[in-house]
Amino acid sequence: MDDIVVIQGLRKSFGAQEILKGIDLKVGKGEAVVLVGASGSGKSTCLRCVNRLEEPTEGVITVAGTLVTDKRADLNLVRRNIGMVFQSINLYPHLNALGNVTLALRKVKKLSRADADERGRHHLEQVGLADRMTHFPAQLSGGEAQRVGIARALALEPKVMLFDEPTSALDPELVGEVLTVMRKTKEAGMTMMIVTHEMQFAREVADRVAFLDQGAVLEQGPPAEILDRPKHKRIQEFLSRLH
Amino acid sequence: MEKILYYFFNWPLIAPHLPAMLKGFAVTLQMAALTIAFGLTLGLALAVLRTYGNKLLNAALIFYVDVFRAIPQLVILVLIFFALPGVGIVLDPVTATVVALSLVLAAFAEEIFWSGIAAVARGQWEAGRCGGLTFNQTLFSIILPQVVRIAIPPLTNRAIGITKGTTLGSVIAVPELLNVASSVQSTIANPTALTAAAVLFCLIFLPFVRLTRWMEGHYAPKR
Repeated sequence: MDDIVVIQGLRKSFGAQEILKGIDLKVGKGEAVVLVGASGSGKSTCLRCVNRLEEPTEGVITVAGTLVTDKRADLNLVRRNIGMVFQSINLYPHLNALGNVTLALRKVKKLSRADADERGRHHLEQVGLADRMTHFPAQLSGGEAQRVGIARALALEPKVMLFDEPTSALDPELVGEVLTVMRKTKEAGMTMMIVTHEMQFAREVADRVAFLDQGAVLEQGPPAEILDRPKHKRIQEFLSRLH
Repeated sequence: MEKILYYFFNWPLIAPHLPAMLKGFAVTLQMAALTIAFGLTLGLALAVLRTYGNKLLNAALIFYVDVFRAIPQLVILVLIFFALPGVGIVLDPVTATVVALSLVLAAFAEEIFWSGIAAVARGQWEAGRCGGLTFNQTLFSIILPQVVRIAIPPLTNRAIGITKGTTLGSVIAVPELLNVASSVQSTIANPTALTAAAVLFCLIFLPFVRLTRWMEGHYAPKR
């Protein structure tokens, strides 16, 4: 299987504190890997190193064959292959939903406004927001806003999508619509790395679950194995606290 | 009551001088417009330069901003008009006034734009950069459009406060509105000239205040 993301020996320190202590992880084409673990275990930091929102202290990361951790790598090129969805959503408040989706299409992909709008509308329809094109972020519910966030990332046709706790900031009744869109994205064959606390979702959608503990991958494997029959006591404790 | 009308609202007496006052009005209007245009443009340019984080450049920039915010406008105006000729730079009074006021407005505007840039959430930068936009594209397409909205109210206050300093030009013989009004007052021995000047100043600045109020509403985040 082609590996889209390969992480080897990833370390990251903030000052004297080492958050990631040598992570090795691979994500194959079309695979969905869910990172779970207690808060502070380094899940988000690991994800943010993949597109170098955080600068790795040590280690090698390649995405779609490009060496991301190369100091001379053109980050703007690298990031075209990597879509990101944020916990804080980060829609551009001065642009409407369509404007949010089309900005990078016009500025980065250099599409004409008409072409960008056409592609933008398509992707907003895909996430079920055909009737919200001209709404501004403040006029959208949290779930709608996050679906715009997903459409914005998908419109750039990345090789891998990073989801950093996409539903953690949402009201509980709005979580489902976002997870539905993520499920569809997976079914369409997208490669995904997901940090989430939605264990039911991980069970259904993940090909693999990686449990991070204190900056290292403690155990990884199929969700049934990690979430239902974990070998490590720490994972059993973590899971029991969630229920 | 009669006295008040005679001294402050004696329109027949100043009617013959009105053309002269309108000329002064035009000079003031022109200086105000130029000051706002140059001051805000320079202020925004400096704030943008500051985002690149060049230590040396930023130190120089902050020095300029702090000094020009600290010195009274009149002192800067007098220095530019009377001291610069000493090093061979001679500016006519109108230009000297516009330059002095623009430099002061730019210093305040830079700080206002800069605090606006700092106020935009970090996630906006991240979202832009993750979409493959360059630093400049993110700055100009995502950050600054939000900054301008944040900055309109404080910028308006500053711009009005500083452009009112056009009256300082009278010190170096700029034939602006207050200067003309003062001469008319001496000629006719009646302060109605100053009342008329006050009305004309309102004609300049009230529309400006109203315009910015409209802009605040127009650019406010859509709800």
